[in-house]
Amino acid sequence: MYRYDEFDHEVVQSRVKQFRGQVERRLSGAITEEQFRPLRLQNGLYLQLHAYMMRVAVPYGTLSSKQMRQLGMIADKYDRGYGHVTTRQNFQFNWPELTHVPDLLQDLADVEMHGFQTSGNCIRNVTSDPYAGATAEEIEDPRPTAELLRQWSTLHPEFAFLPRKFKIAVVASKTDRAVIRAHDIGIEVTANEKGEVGYHIIVGGGLGRTPIIGQTLRAFLPREELLPYLEATLRVYNRYGRRDNKYKARIKILVTETGIDAFREMVEAEYEALEPLDIAVSAQEVERISSYFAPPDFENLPEHCDAFQAKLISEKDFADWAGNNLAEHKVPGYSIVNVSLKPTDLAPGDITADQMRAVADMAEAYSFGEIRTTHQQNIVLPHVKKSDLYSLFEKLKEAKLHAGNIGLITDIICCPGMDFCALATARSIPVSQAIAQRFSDPARQRAIGEMQIKISGCINACGHHHVGHIGILGLEKAGVEFYQVKLGGDSSENAAVGKVTGPGFSQEELVDAIERLVDYYIDVRAEDERFIDSFKRLGMAPFKEALYAA
Amino acid sequence: MSTAKHKGKGPQSLTANELRGGASVWLDANMEWSRDFGDAFKTEDENHIEKMRAKGDADANENLVVGVYFIDIEPDSGLPVRYREKFRVKGPSYDTAEELGLNAKKAK
Ligand code: SF4
Repeated sequence: MYRYDEFDHEVVQSRVKQFRGQVERRLSGAITEEQFRPLRLQNGLYLQLHAYMMRVAVPYGTLSSKQMRQLGMIADKYDRGYGHVTTRQNFQFNWPELTHVPDLLQDLADVEMHGFQTSGNCIRNVTSDPYAGATAEEIEDPRPTAELLRQWSTLHPEFAFLPRKFKIAVVASKTDRAVIRAHDIGIEVTANEKGEVGYHIIVGGGLGRTPIIGQTLRAFLPREELLPYLEATLRVYNRYGRRDNKYKARIKILVTETGIDAFREMVEAEYEALEPLDIAVSAQEVERISSYFAPPDFENLPEHCDAFQAKLISEKDFADWAGNNLAEHKVPGYSIVNVSLKPTDLAPGDITADQMRAVADMAEAYSFGEIRTTHQQNIVLPHVKKSDLYSLFEKLKEAKLHAGNIGLITDIICCPGMDFCALATARSIPVSQAIAQRFSDPARQRAIGEMQIKISGCINACGHHHVGHIGILGLEKAGVEFYQVKLGGDSSENAAVGKVTGPGFSQEELVDAIERLVDYYIDVRAEDERFIDSFKRLGMAPFKEALYAA
Repeated sequence: MSTAKHKGKGPQSLTANELRGGASVWLDANMEWSRDFGDAFKTEDENHIEKMRAKGDADANENLVVGVYFIDIEPDSGLPVRYREKFRVKGPSYDTAEELGLNAKKAK
């Protein structure tokens, strides 16, 4: 796993000292709120609806057990004993006090963590595939590329004040588990006909008030050209991105208004003009970074595990969980374990301090100390021996982390909404809970199959509702919340933006409407057809009719 | 510097967040900040409103509170008019700490 080098270490430590001084000056009145606000945001500290909120960066969603344990300690010491996993794989704490934040940052820094790139108009924390380094589907581990981007983008002086925030995601599999087509830049590690490994660069995707699926900027970019090419792209954006209108300032608007071909020409012209290999990274450096992500010491095991198979037969709840929450590992005898943070009675993505410590213990005992966060607001233990799966399941049960609903209708993405967020127009957590409770029967969930419901509490779309199979947007009129529904969105490699069905619903109406929709789907689906596939086959009209049939 | 322009209609209250802790607060009849909206002073009297504004500005300058602003109050219910402000008054309708009794556990 990656360890920060001396340079990173120094930067993180000195930022804590710097911020401690800034907080002292703010409290003494030496600096005003206007002066302080950008400083606290640059360290991930927001002021939300009821309190401060601290966002902690989890670069490419990779955490060590030590870091997870420290997050648990922080949740207890400075917050209310829990934290929240965001749709950008970060961690949030909802209740820290400003006076405690310097100490909180020091505790983070002690485990090489911080809040850089979690706010502001900079290149945000780079996200990636939570199965990185574990899935057989990948061409290579995408994290060395993500780490290279982290090093390049952290405190990059030229890109600290972009027209708007800038999000990058990297995957190395055809299966997209990081929604790369809804990012400002999405990167897919790919191979050309000659078998050389390079990058497919996608630009101009994004959600928010103007959802757009990204387009190909370069189908194949040689590996060593990555940083110079991105530098050229960011320069074009920095120069031509609209600073006159906050709502038109993202790169997706520039690309759409310019047209992808003309935008590409601008990037290529800028790229031509760049000092040759100015910031290109040598093969040795790539090699050095990659070595930090060297696979752990996997044992030589047979693919088949008798003990695991026997438990699948004798323990039904284990079999149900395993049938849904495991993914295939590239190494024989191992599994990727998805740990759901979506029990039907708690807020999606929330995890208590006790659970953080339990996950840290489990990672140490069963997964080489490695943990991942996912944009679906769950957790992954990437490398678990099949022979350990049953013991792990028992531990998950003790920690109440054994929901077997990954990818099912109750595995809902949900932003904090009006319960916490200062920008919200309506609540989202109670809606997700009402839906989860309506479909709480695990057998029913499995019978429905893969279904992605995504809920946002405002047009900013942090809950990814545009790309939910069922997307829900919370709005408010004259003091009453209502919920607009979108259907047919897709966050996968076949990314699509859902279409609005029609008038909104109250929360009670919404849950009934979704149930009618789901029942209709069950009636009409062809064998093994997922909801999204039935929707694509039959189109909006019949589903809309079912939704409004009351 | 005026942080709290009063442009609203009907009864007004003054709200802010504590600078140090971040908690939402409302100005009470004694011109003190309270974390309980029940204590909030609600008035249409322009003289009082001017006093509140001055107090808000002064306390923002004294680094006691941050983000001071007036909110409209419904005359009948005595609650804020805006939905968002109603939420600031009530606090989250769902908080994992409340749900699981984590605060109580911590206090032990
Ligand atoms: S979508 Fe809106 S309500 Fe939800 S977290 Fe983002 S800004 Fe807040």
